[in-house]
Amino acid sequence: MYLYSLTLQRPGGVVCATNGNFVGGKTQEIVVARGKTLDLLRPDESGKLQTLLSVEVFGAIRSLAQFRLTGSQKDYVVVGSDSGRLVILEYSRERNVFHKVHQETFGKSGCRRIVPGQFLAVDPKGRAAMVAACEKQKLVYVLNRDAAARLTISSPLEAHKSHTITYSVTGVDCGFDNPVFAAIELDYSEADIDPTGQAAADAQKHLTFYELDLGLNHVSRKWSEPVDNGANLLVTVPGGGDGPSGVLVCAENFVIYKNQGHPDVRAVIPRRADLPAERGVLVVSAATHRQKSMFFFLLQTEYGDIFRVTLEHEGDRVTELKIKYFDTIPVTSSMSVLKTGFLFAASEFGNHALYQFQAIGEAEDVEASSATLMETEEGFQPVFFQPRGLKNLVRIDQVESLMPIMDMRVMNLFEEETPQVFTLCGRGPRSSLRILRPGLAINEMAVSQLPGTPSAVWTVKKNVNDEFDAYIVVSFVNATLVLSIGETIEEVSDSGFLDTTPSLSVSLLGDDSLMQVHPNGIRHIREDGRINEWKTPGKKTIVKVGLNRLQVVIALSGGELIYFEMDMTGQLMEVEKHEMPGDVACLDIAPVPEGRHRSRFLAVGSYDNTIRILSLDPDDCMQILSVQSVSSPPESLLLLEVQASTGGEDGADHPASVFLNAGLQNGVLFRTVVDMVTGQLSDTRSRFLGLRAPKLFSATVRGRQAMLCLSSRPWLGYIHQGHFLLTPLSYETLEYAASFSSDQCAEGVVAVAGEALRIFTIERLGETFNETVVPLRPRAFTAEEREAARKECLEAAKMGENGNANNGQQMENGGGAGDDEDDALSDEQYGYPKAESDKWVSCIRVLDPRTGNTTCLLELQENEAAFSLCTVNFHDKEYGTLLAVGTAKGLQFWPKRSLAAGFIHIYRFVEEGKSLELVHKTQVEGVPLTLCQFQGRLLAGIGSVLRLYDLGKRRLLRKCENKLFPNTIVSMHTYRDRIYVGDIQESFHYCKYRRDENQLYIFADDSVPRWLTASHHIDFDTMAGADKFGNIYFVRLPQDLSDEIEEDPTGGKIKWEQGKLNGAPNKMEEIVQFHVGDVVTCLQKASLIPGGGECVIYGTVMGSLGALLPFNSREDVDFFSHLEMHMRQEHPPLCGRDHMAFRSAYFPVKDVIDGDLCEQFPTLPPDLQRKIADELDRTPGEILKKLEDVRNKII
Amino acid sequence: MSTYGGDSWAREAHHRKRRVDDLMLSSSSSRDASSPSFKKLSNGKYACLVCPHNPILDTPLLLSVHNKGSRHIAAESRVRASELSKRNELHKRIALSDDSTGLSSSEILVRQGKSSGFHNKPLIQKTMKAILETKSNQMENPKFVVAGNKTDLGTRSSVCDSKYSPATDGIREPSGNVARESSNSNEKKLLMTAATNKMLADLHSEFSERREKELKFTSAGWKRDCHGKWYRDENVEFDSDEEDPNITLR
Repeated sequence: MYLYSLTLQRPGGVVCATNGNFVGGKTQEIVVARGKTLDLLRPDESGKLQTLLSVEVFGAIRSLAQFRLTGSQKDYVVVGSDSGRLVILEYSRERNVFHKVHQETFGKSGCRRIVPGQFLAVDPKGRAAMVAACEKQKLVYVLNRDAAARLTISSPLEAHKSHTITYSVTGVDCGFDNPVFAAIELDYSEADIDPTGQAAADAQKHLTFYELDLGLNHVSRKWSEPVDNGANLLVTVPGGGDGPSGVLVCAENFVIYKNQGHPDVRAVIPRRADLPAERGVLVVSAATHRQKSMFFFLLQTEYGDIFRVTLEHEGDRVTELKIKYFDTIPVTSSMSVLKTGFLFAASEFGNHALYQFQAIGEAEDVEASSATLMETEEGFQPVFFQPRGLKNLVRIDQVESLMPIMDMRVMNLFEEETPQVFTLCGRGPRSSLRILRPGLAINEMAVSQLPGTPSAVWTVKKNVNDEFDAYIVVSFVNATLVLSIGETIEEVSDSGFLDTTPSLSVSLLGDDSLMQVHPNGIRHIREDGRINEWKTPGKKTIVKVGLNRLQVVIALSGGELIYFEMDMTGQLMEVEKHEMPGDVACLDIAPVPEGRHRSRFLAVGSYDNTIRILSLDPDDCMQILSVQSVSSPPESLLLLEVQASTGGEDGADHPASVFLNAGLQNGVLFRTVVDMVTGQLSDTRSRFLGLRAPKLFSATVRGRQAMLCLSSRPWLGYIHQGHFLLTPLSYETLEYAASFSSDQCAEGVVAVAGEALRIFTIERLGETFNETVVPLRPRAFTAEEREAARKECLEAAKMGENGNANNGQQMENGGGAGDDEDDALSDEQYGYPKAESDKWVSCIRVLDPRTGNTTCLLELQENEAAFSLCTVNFHDKEYGTLLAVGTAKGLQFWPKRSLAAGFIHIYRFVEEGKSLELVHKTQVEGVPLTLCQFQGRLLAGIGSVLRLYDLGKRRLLRKCENKLFPNTIVSMHTYRDRIYVGDIQESFHYCKYRRDENQLYIFADDSVPRWLTASHHIDFDTMAGADKFGNIYFVRLPQDLSDEIEEDPTGGKIKWEQGKLNGAPNKMEEIVQFHVGDVVTCLQKASLIPGGGECVIYGTVMGSLGALLPFNSREDVDFFSHLEMHMRQEHPPLCGRDHMAFRSAYFPVKDVIDGDLCEQFPTLPPDLQRKIADELDRTPGEILKKLEDVRNKII
Repeated sequence: MSTYGGDSWAREAHHRKRRVDDLMLSSSSSRDASSPSFKKLSNGKYACLVCPHNPILDTPLLLSVHNKGSRHIAAESRVRASELSKRNELHKRIALSDDSTGLSSSEILVRQGKSSGFHNKPLIQKTMKAILETKSNQMENPKFVVAGNKTDLGTRSSVCDSKYSPATDGIREPSGNVARESSNSNEKKLLMTAATNKMLADLHSEFSERREKELKFTSAGWKRDCHGKWYRDENVEFDSDEEDPNITLR
């Protein structure tokens, strides 16, 4: 089996972020690392965050920093990753890529404890960078510039100290003196050799300053002083004339100002009044705001509260440290204050947000200050505050993030054309069920009912220079309705259009005259109101029209074409007639090219399954230039001109070209390139869009030409970051559409469907999925139940026996609720109140996904939490489908894993599956981590025991069990009489149940110990699994072994055969192996397109979705493996990790081709593309087509 | 500069050896041009196409060294073996599709059994053969009887017709009776065989029903002692009103 791996949705979570001016000019950008992708974001004028660039680096990005050489106008990005290299990147505005300026190798690859890359610090003046490991190693690079003002980097200077653990590193701002770096360190050398444990208990953290002597080119430990053992984060304090220099040490409950030769200035971090006394307050992220005259710090605690910290200083002496409550936002992994007055908050989990500063919290009443610090016998006196609503910040945009995806199902519950992906995302109070649909999201602006069923709609401007459209013209079977666009949209009768007849086309002609084509003629309305009519000869009627701004071609019944052109005086003149062999099915003229008087090509589709390109040049007017035969009669044609582009912010280099698009009656969109000179057609591609013949309309997207295709669902073809994308829109079936522009919506679409006129805009271009969010809101308050140490979210979908298929059962274990019912603060923003760590809350929720309503909510009482659920249908029992839920009571993980009891609850569905009713509850000895139906009974994995239960009157009845599993059973799948069991540490075990002996036998297992996080059943002998190190693998029982087991007539062999060293007698083979680089939490086999092949879809902790598609021809495998090989050679990953090494990080990659690498082919420079294509004996166009084809097979 | 030093002939010999390796390389690639074992990349490096991870080698020398390596040889032999097995499989399938029409179903079954790797497991093979034989007997015997009777009947009646039909009524009457009688007797036989068949089938279904019931009890946790009496497995839990097989199956 060969698979093609493709990321469908890029990860949403942010690991680290840094802000600066990377593009050059006055703008501010943010670089964010999302695990293995690096994104460049910028807030646009309207305050929306736009992604300028997103690039996959095939490595784990661990840290980011930004620096600027003195006197330079532009910032560089330093990336610390798992590649064992330090990489400095520069953004190139011209080509919209990151350039690797320097790549310095320093050690082994991977995220190891002594391989640097975890911490990065740069000198605030941009003269040096330090890259540090968690333990021992620190390397300092001197940054400089050469005569040509290019960045140079020195060889590394070592500042290693063995037996020390590093917690945080930062650069100290000391003006233009020697660069100094500060680190929080812990020396464990004594603790390591002291067997009594006394030294370990006495271990002390130190703040250490490292000085880089630029004259001697040497790094030395300059100063070291003990700090609080709770210290976890360092923040640079501005220096060198702007401030006192030094660092802020953020420790548990305190913020301390420290500098060499300066006494400590300490202030206590205010606590929420309801926080239990034993919990500390830690700062998790920090941001600094600097202006010429002042600076302040924003520190966020682990509960989400942001504090504004200011320093009172006279020269270098700090007199007071003040802490003032600022606002509360969800906990972030990184905050960036932009000079333009925005705060970008990269959330730890869930959606990220962009805030605008309303104020900077300058009021005098500070909560805590070093001046008011009170010390008593018990220690320092705590200070309290009350969280309140946002006062200084206002949220203006959100960036969606699915992180973490806890579970996922691909199902078609809404009976749409394509299945929906149901994901359980987020954590604690911000957890949600998100329904993802492949396609672009639309924003419906207006829907209005019309007096009949319209057949077509157009928009027209009054003048070519107008910014907005003036009229919407709607055609009915026997009338035409004209609506004028203003403040409101209303019907008008003075437009000059004939309203007693249907229209075939309405458009602006020339600079300022309007034209209406109706079956009996052409009506030309001049700007001054004069009307010219052209009548059809004899009894013939006009059937089809093709036009642009200066040219009109009409097709009469019988197949006669008449060509009109606008002359200098603004008159429409007949130029040429042409008789076609049969009726014309459709026709189109390309738009007039810039600086020309006419377009050269007319495309005509006929019912004899051909499309002809005719010339409109005066010298060879109506000559056939080329003929293309197609599989079915064309229904609609569109010639789309793509303007030449030379890179820039949105697009790669490509020359101008004309594409002929044809919607065929069998639902296929046919696309081919028209040669600009000869009119020859080449490079044809086709794609099935839906059951109806696609109708094609031109539209404008981000100022560029785009194409709307209306089949059984609407599609949009547009160019995004240099690629042509054809994506479905998540909207209902439309009849006819036109682009629409008014002052309320600049780039909209007006469409008719049924009896309604709809106006909408298309959003979030470039995304694969659009999402509908159903927040799983916390429930009402109860005093005992609070807090969750962990969250487990599971979902199962139930296909009810009474056709009620729309219930997903949700289980959520997310935490308690607000302190008070009347407290207006939302938990989503402020988090749940905290309690002791071993308290659990959990509920079972039945949700109607269509409305998002919870139809039933059962709270689990007494510190009980749900861990698994499944629907089960017990044979010959009267209840029908039941719901089994596995729970644990009083589960504790620390100091030792323990629990009070485990239970399996059995619920019955009542009210047509809308509600649940408890049947009974059975106590078991461990946590039932997985449940599954098997042959009309319930299989449960309880700790290391696999047990089969039958339904009894009062409880579940234990019927059969197998205790031979190595650790803990975490997953089960069944097929026929086989049970595929996944162990938490030791991969899969295949079992068989024998009814005649009432025994469960393990007959095969895996030879590799895998820490399983997700699994899915592929076929009778094959399972797909994912481990916690980010690998996906498939195991298969060899065919002969499988046959032998299935055809063993006596069953004696299974029973008596024994494996070696307690293993099973047979071993599975690993047939596929791939390192994803992100923990996969769910796997499912599904097909995301109608009639498409099945692929394995996976979701990850970082919130990305990916697919593995099996190849079905050897030829494709060869092609893509060669392409991958060349891409590895010619386009090494950005962060310096070797691609092959990354994909083989734990086990050598086997039989999987990395589609993400192959899809970087279009971003290569054209000469490199050609070179690779030559190697493969193809043209770059063919390679692009192949890439497009394989993507279209998945989504 | 060289390990061979100065103007030693060894250096030249070394070069010559390299050159030979170079030439060998190209000749080895031309030997089976249909599937070369390496590919020359645009940057002048070589990629080995045989080894599964496609190592990139800088010079032909390195490639030749690589080609002599044990890993490469192992990979090569694996590739050969897989090709060979593929070809064999292909031949087998072609052969099967060519003359499958001429084979009886049992033969195919036997063949399939053989092909699925039981030729070295004589016991299983024997069992399967026995099952097949009994099955084919069951299927063919009644058919054979019916067919034999029918031919018999057909010839006889046709004889009657040709001989006696133009003759007098008196003779025609008994001849008709004879024919009817004989046909009746045949029908009876037919019925009898059908009845026995049906009885057998009933018996069989009864047996399988009973077997199914017993299986239900075993899977519910009942066990049998050496007298055939049912008892409860002590590790299994039972409902209060569970059926007792000792009563149900009597």
